[in-house]
Amino acid sequence: MMFRHLFKLIWNKRKQNFLFLSEILVSFMVIFAVFSFLTFYYQNYSKPLGFDYKKVWSISYDNGLLTKNRDSLNIFYDNLYKSLKAMPQIEEVTYTGANFPYSNSTMSTGLNSNGKKFNPVNSYVVGADYQKVWNIKLVAGRWFLPEDAVTKNKNFIINETLKKQMFGEGDAIGKLIGDYDDKEKMKIIGVVQDIKANGDFWPAGNAMFTRLDTGYFRNNSHILVKVRDGADATFESQLYKFMTNTMKNSVEIQHLSEMRDAKNEVTIIPMVIFIIIASFLIINVALGLFGVLWYNINKRRSEIGLRRAIGASGSSVSLQLVMEAMILATMSLMVGCFFAIQFPLLSVFNIPASVYIVAMLLSILFIYLLVFACSLYPGKQAAGIHPAIALHEE
Amino acid sequence: MLKNYFKIAIAVLKRRKFFTFVSLFGISFTLTILMVTTAFMDKVLSPDYPDLKRERSLYVSSMEYKNTKEGWMNRSDVSFYFFSHYVSTLKNVDKMAISSNPKASNAYVNNKKIVIAYKYTNADYWNVLEYRFLAGKPFSQKEIDNADKVAVISEETRKAYFGDASNVIGRYISADNVNYRVIGVVANVSKTVNSLSGDMYLPYTVSTSDYNKPDLMGPYNAVLLAKSKADVPKMQKEFQQMMRRVPIPKDFDRVYSNADPFFSSMTRRIAGDGANNGKTRVVTIMSIFVLLFLLLPTINLVNINVTRIMERSSEIGVRKAFGASSKTLVYQFIVENMILTFLGGIIGIILSLLAIYLINGANVISNMRLSMNLTVLFYSFIACVFFGLISGVYPAWRMSKLNVVKALKTQ
Repeated sequence: MMFRHLFKLIWNKRKQNFLFLSEILVSFMVIFAVFSFLTFYYQNYSKPLGFDYKKVWSISYDNGLLTKNRDSLNIFYDNLYKSLKAMPQIEEVTYTGANFPYSNSTMSTGLNSNGKKFNPVNSYVVGADYQKVWNIKLVAGRWFLPEDAVTKNKNFIINETLKKQMFGEGDAIGKLIGDYDDKEKMKIIGVVQDIKANGDFWPAGNAMFTRLDTGYFRNNSHILVKVRDGADATFESQLYKFMTNTMKNSVEIQHLSEMRDAKNEVTIIPMVIFIIIASFLIINVALGLFGVLWYNINKRRSEIGLRRAIGASGSSVSLQLVMEAMILATMSLMVGCFFAIQFPLLSVFNIPASVYIVAMLLSILFIYLLVFACSLYPGKQAAGIHPAIALHEE
Repeated sequence: MLKNYFKIAIAVLKRRKFFTFVSLFGISFTLTILMVTTAFMDKVLSPDYPDLKRERSLYVSSMEYKNTKEGWMNRSDVSFYFFSHYVSTLKNVDKMAISSNPKASNAYVNNKKIVIAYKYTNADYWNVLEYRFLAGKPFSQKEIDNADKVAVISEETRKAYFGDASNVIGRYISADNVNYRVIGVVANVSKTVNSLSGDMYLPYTVSTSDYNKPDLMGPYNAVLLAKSKADVPKMQKEFQQMMRRVPIPKDFDRVYSNADPFFSSMTRRIAGDGANNGKTRVVTIMSIFVLLFLLLPTINLVNINVTRIMERSSEIGVRKAFGASSKTLVYQFIVENMILTFLGGIIGIILSLLAIYLINGANVISNMRLSMNLTVLFYSFIACVFFGLISGVYPAWRMSKLNVVKALKTQ
């Protein structure tokens, strides 16, 4: 009954309320965008990292001056591995493709399973000790063994996300999967925990690991080492000297912990700027709403005075005004939600629907709180209007 | 007349201080963000040290192969061979600055790691680009021909590597375990001049990779300088004609490389490809973004303005009753709103100066120094006028529609 009455009041002033409505609508869309980002980042952030980066260093080098002869190159890399491993400060050594975690390089491919295509799949080409360097946990099956070099089907390892997509809860070990154009079959020998290779705020995505075979050495230009506690800058400069003498070419050593910070910054800095701008916009809107509501109440002094004179209590008057503002907000939110719901329905940007739903609920809550807070003081003021004075003014 | 409007505007602003505060807060904050963004865009787009001849220059920074049947695409920077073998034959190219992408190397000084990004350049690099030498001089063709191990380093590198030593010319700096003799020190280059910033510059002939390999793709890019501004379109045309003679690599059926003016070279990198420079796309997306950003403060300001007008309905009623035309009233209100906007603009400039000071102090982007110059102020002025107009027109129209009898009766 009361709602119908309030609705009529709002409808009568639809022209004046139009701007109010559109302002809330646009605010809702801005807040929805902010919360979508935050929810997406938080969901990813709360998942485990899946590997240890703390004592890992990457060595990148220019391979232009190395021999092109396959056998000599094999011997060269074999010796390099042994020399590095023999250093007392180094615990583990592995060769890797350019797209190791936190590097700015990506490599992806597609896979075919049961007539379904999975694309893109991050493809990591990894050396034998890759798992030990990163301390990656196996969920099922095993890591690569030397005998994998001579199997009929190429053996490979996938991550949990890809396993769930392909087999759900079923078993993956031993299954044959087609490669990019489904010409060759590869055998899954292991499933590893997801590794968030793009920083704390991004999903691991689909990933597959293949063994770095000797044919790949021609293109190889990255080594990962896991160092022991005693490894300091003195050791790093020795290692550097050793590498430049070995490669006779340019070399760069980076610490994965620093690369991780850099990678996270790329997400955090724009987000902070976005939040700062959005919060100023919202403060702006809040002040604006507050001002308009306050003015409206002052304009309706006689109406409020009359209601008080015929017996309405102060709290029922202020409730009426707050409710009016809330109904206005609801009308805007309905339009806003119509637009917002399109995002999960069309699965825009391929982001899980739950992100948009949570963001939508949070934004609705936020807008209600905002409107409530802005109408509370004007409503209270209206309750304080003395009927005799208000009616006398007329 | 204007003086009167001004007086009225100030009186109205003083009357409802809360509304004035809200309006000014919204306007000044919105303009601050626009101004800081403009300052940043200005830094990126207008000629900046050491690349001061952008009007006479074209930029070549990518090579693209395409197989249109299979949909393959291969994109990379350009080879030295391409510049020395093809581009150097163009008649309209006065000088050409060739340099490689910065490559990172480490140096260890007193147990501290320094990351040195070094670039290989040709001799004309120093003639096309106006690096400011704080000490020493650049290397010349003679050093290039001899493949001398000499280096020009940046001020930042000098500090990091040699500490407070006053004269470093003739001393040696080690990168990748090779010792280079320092022959010049240049002022730091902002990271926003991406393709030209580096910590150390070396003659391309000391590079370990084979720079004469007849490939089209490689690690280099170039700035082509024309004799005069008028020659730039001719140079661009000549470059396109030359591209038709470049042999198409095996497995592909198209090869693209472009000599672009500075702005298109940037948009091509962000949103374009070999065939399309991406200019329209970038400009459209940016304009949509700015308009969306302006939407909320504008609606807010319109909302407040409408409220304020209703408050002044008696004044308007009286003026109308005495024969003021709608046009006069609309004009008056827009002028009033402009005054408010410009007040907000002034506060906005102060806030922007503060923000720029903070951004420069924090060194958010390495060696980038934003500044408030005439260009930025000019664009800010345009933003003020635009903002004032769009937020003033609707309320003014509402005001002019006000019914005299009703307006006078309600009070």
